[in-house]
Amino acid sequence: MIRTTRFSFSTFLRLTISAILIGSLGFANAALADSHENDAAQVEYRQTLMEIVGANMGAMGDIMKNGLTLPGHVAVHAGQMAEMAQLIAPAFKNNIATDATDAKQKIWQDWTKFESAIGDFEEAARNLQAAAKGGDMATVGPAMKALGKSCGGCHKPFRKPKEESFKSKAGHAGHDDHG
Amino acid sequence: MGCGLLVAGLLLASSAPPVRAESELARGRRVFHATGGCSCHTNYPGEGDEAPLLAGGRPLKTPFGVFYSSNITSDIETGLGRWSDADFIRAMREGLSPEGQHYFPVFPYTSFAGLSDADLVDLKSYIDSLPRIRRANRDPDAPFPFSWRPALAGWKWLNFAPERVVDESGQSAEWNRGRYLVSAAAHCGECHTPRTLTGGLDRSMWLAGSSDGPEGELAPNITPDRKTGIGRWSIPDLVWYLEMGIKPDGDDTQGLMSEVIEHGYTHLPASDLKAIAIYLESLAPIENDLYSK
Repeated sequence: MIRTTRFSFSTFLRLTISAILIGSLGFANAALADSHENDAAQVEYRQTLMEIVGANMGAMGDIMKNGLTLPGHVAVHAGQMAEMAQLIAPAFKNNIATDATDAKQKIWQDWTKFESAIGDFEEAARNLQAAAKGGDMATVGPAMKALGKSCGGCHKPFRKPKEESFKSKAGHAGHDDHG
Repeated sequence: MGCGLLVAGLLLASSAPPVRAESELARGRRVFHATGGCSCHTNYPGEGDEAPLLAGGRPLKTPFGVFYSSNITSDIETGLGRWSDADFIRAMREGLSPEGQHYFPVFPYTSFAGLSDADLVDLKSYIDSLPRIRRANRDPDAPFPFSWRPALAGWKWLNFAPERVVDESGQSAEWNRGRYLVSAAAHCGECHTPRTLTGGLDRSMWLAGSSDGPEGELAPNITPDRKTGIGRWSIPDLVWYLEMGIKPDGDDTQGLMSEVIEHGYTHLPASDLKAIAIYLESLAPIENDLYSK
């Protein structure tokens, strides 16, 4: 009877420790899974954010290259891009550079330069907004060109070349990952 | 004494770039921009926007090794300062130096051979008008036999048939201008056409894209195939792209293409950009999905 009690106590101890260990592992796994899901969600948000920026650029191109008569629209799109610019740095604050993203590790290695490039982009968008409000096409064209160049000011150092990214992701033709 | 001064004067005159008319320089600038601003001869990737213009030294990665672009400023010792117009035309048309040495085909004389005499002379005038920079040329980092110039005679025999790009009757002036720019000056085919095993252009896939483009980059299919090329791009899309470097979806351009736009095509008159677009859109579409290869 005594032996049985001792055995039961020891078994109880072993079971308890095992349960704690298994539970901890479970929590760790769950936390890890949550973290991965969170990373994926953050990357997805970054990419959507950049798609909005690109969509504004594309919309301005549609207007200007086809000579559409839509007074005030370019200024609104440029203004939206400047607003979006303020969201980029917070969206990229966490260092996530998985295979699903074209963001380079260099963003977090050279964060000050990254923020500065975003600042140049915002300034170029504001300049275009002002030029478009003024309505003088002689200033809108160069401001548009400067804004396009400012996209490259960030993409060149901090984003994997799109063509290279295609190379490493065979079969993903047509995707639009930015973030 | 008088004769001595005359001889000295003649010697001086022969070593200095000849004085060119402003109109010649303007025409030469246009040819220069049509080539993409001779961007391969400026080391933008290594030295940024401060890179000495046209002084060479830019590494050009190819499947056959790394080649370094040459100094094409008019510096007497290290550049083209002693070259005559005929020397320049021979280099661009035949891929031969004034001493008769073969140039590596990373220098796209295979396309420049199509340029007119007038455009070549004007281009040289414009380049001569830019600052002279002293920078010695660098030998390629390529294994034998790819670094051995005499072997290039065989390469040329296999892959090089110099041909001037002349107007096709029955086509519009705009289309012919576009064809001339695409085939010769802008040398689009050098990057956007896949190469054969010996490094020649695969003419059956003209402009259908290459997964081994310059500097190891992928050069997209620019035939008007709707699925794998630029078939969904309108003429204004293409003109806008060549002027601004912005694609129809609003994304920007990277790699060598962004350089040739920034330092070249964006400065061309809109009529030239439209001519390029019209010619490209007139080509037979070739389906070539580079991204799943």
